[in-house]
Amino acid sequence: MRIIGPDELVFGVDNVGACGSFLADYGLIGDGNGRFAALDNTAITVRDKQEPSLPAPMKTASMLRQTIWGVEDQATLDQIEAELSRDRPVAKSADGTLACRDDSGFEIAFRVTRRTKLDLPAELINSPGAKPGRGTNVVGANEDAEARPRSLSHIVYFVPDMDKMANFYIERLGFVITDKFTNTGPFLRPQANDDHHVLFMIQTPEYMQGIEHLAFHMQGPTELMLAGSRMVKKGYESFWGPGRHKFGSNWFWYFNSPLGTHVEYDADMDKHDGDWVERETPMTKDAAQMFLFENVEKWAPGGGPPPAQK
Amino acid sequence: MTSEPLFLCRVDDIGEGGSIGVAPDHRGRDRVLLVRQGQAIYGYINNCPHYDRAPLGWKKDAFLSGDQTRIMCAAHGALFTITDGLCELGPCLGQRLTPVALVITECEVFGLDIPEFAYGRSTQQSSGAAA
Ligand code: FES
Repeated sequence: MRIIGPDELVFGVDNVGACGSFLADYGLIGDGNGRFAALDNTAITVRDKQEPSLPAPMKTASMLRQTIWGVEDQATLDQIEAELSRDRPVAKSADGTLACRDDSGFEIAFRVTRRTKLDLPAELINSPGAKPGRGTNVVGANEDAEARPRSLSHIVYFVPDMDKMANFYIERLGFVITDKFTNTGPFLRPQANDDHHVLFMIQTPEYMQGIEHLAFHMQGPTELMLAGSRMVKKGYESFWGPGRHKFGSNWFWYFNSPLGTHVEYDADMDKHDGDWVERETPMTKDAAQMFLFENVEKWAPGGGPPPAQK
Repeated sequence: MTSEPLFLCRVDDIGEGGSIGVAPDHRGRDRVLLVRQGQAIYGYINNCPHYDRAPLGWKKDAFLSGDQTRIMCAAHGALFTITDGLCELGPCLGQRLTPVALVITECEVFGLDIPEFAYGRSTQQSSGAAA
């Protein structure tokens, strides 16, 4: 099934204004109507939690109301409709979007993707022995770089039964396991996406069910550092990072958010195809990251105090 | 064992019905959060019982739900009562924030026995986070 990845996440929140300023400062572009988009038009939408048009809330603290998956074409939508209609009601709206619940009770939807194709440069680096990435006299440290999220990368859920959850996406929607933390959950990618993961889950008690975090891809590690540092400077709460994960290899920096979930910047994630053999390891602090830094106040080396006068 | 009271802030620094982060550690992270309701001020260690290194706010001094009736952890949305720090909804359901003993004079707020680090030194089990 040609599912590409998360197209849009819809939240029902108790502070639309705060969420809007957070998402705008994070770098997404608001449309003035609660939708905040990355450069490729994947997006987060925030609505007041009372708004009747929203899918039903969960009974937990999670404010996520719906995960909308983007698919390649109408044929894929038809396939999904046929497959999921076998054992659950699938609603079809005027624009063709399909909506239902997954086997864990999360509200999900499918539509032909609204992603636009990006044609942007990667982070350019110079490395001895390799052809220079940047042209001569092109400066790498540009403090004024825009640093906008490029694309909605992945979503992570707390789920009461990770096998049931994973099996739904694998058996019914054709997702593939890339790697697995034993007793935590698998990293999954859909068939029309070669990113290491667009979906991950963490097994928890039922009262925790909800979204653990969401992430957008940045251009590269430098842009991730720049965007994260700007968030810190504006007073936002850094939760974890910057650092680099092992599984997926992506650089990460997580922030708390008024949406009641971590919002992550990621960069430079591995890509895989059918030849990849999944790895498995227990979840530990060593397995979660290759390295981890903490943002501290700026500092510069100096000459030290002048020598004492004799 | 009670240490010298540590000056946290002036009463007026906390807006009515609002919150503030105080007592930064050596890295500049606020160890304590205070919430004011009328004359009453409530203080808790800035560490969510859900994870072992979890500051609660989403922005400097922003520790409350939108309607200001609960303390909210901006990591996964846990909601705590302001008066006794009990998690009523969320991943740490039934657990409590650690209260800070406060000494409140006419216009200043002091705290007792505030740990050197608010988080990062606890032995609580993490529920894991990844990816
Ligand atoms: S760390 Fe506070 S709710 Fe998860």
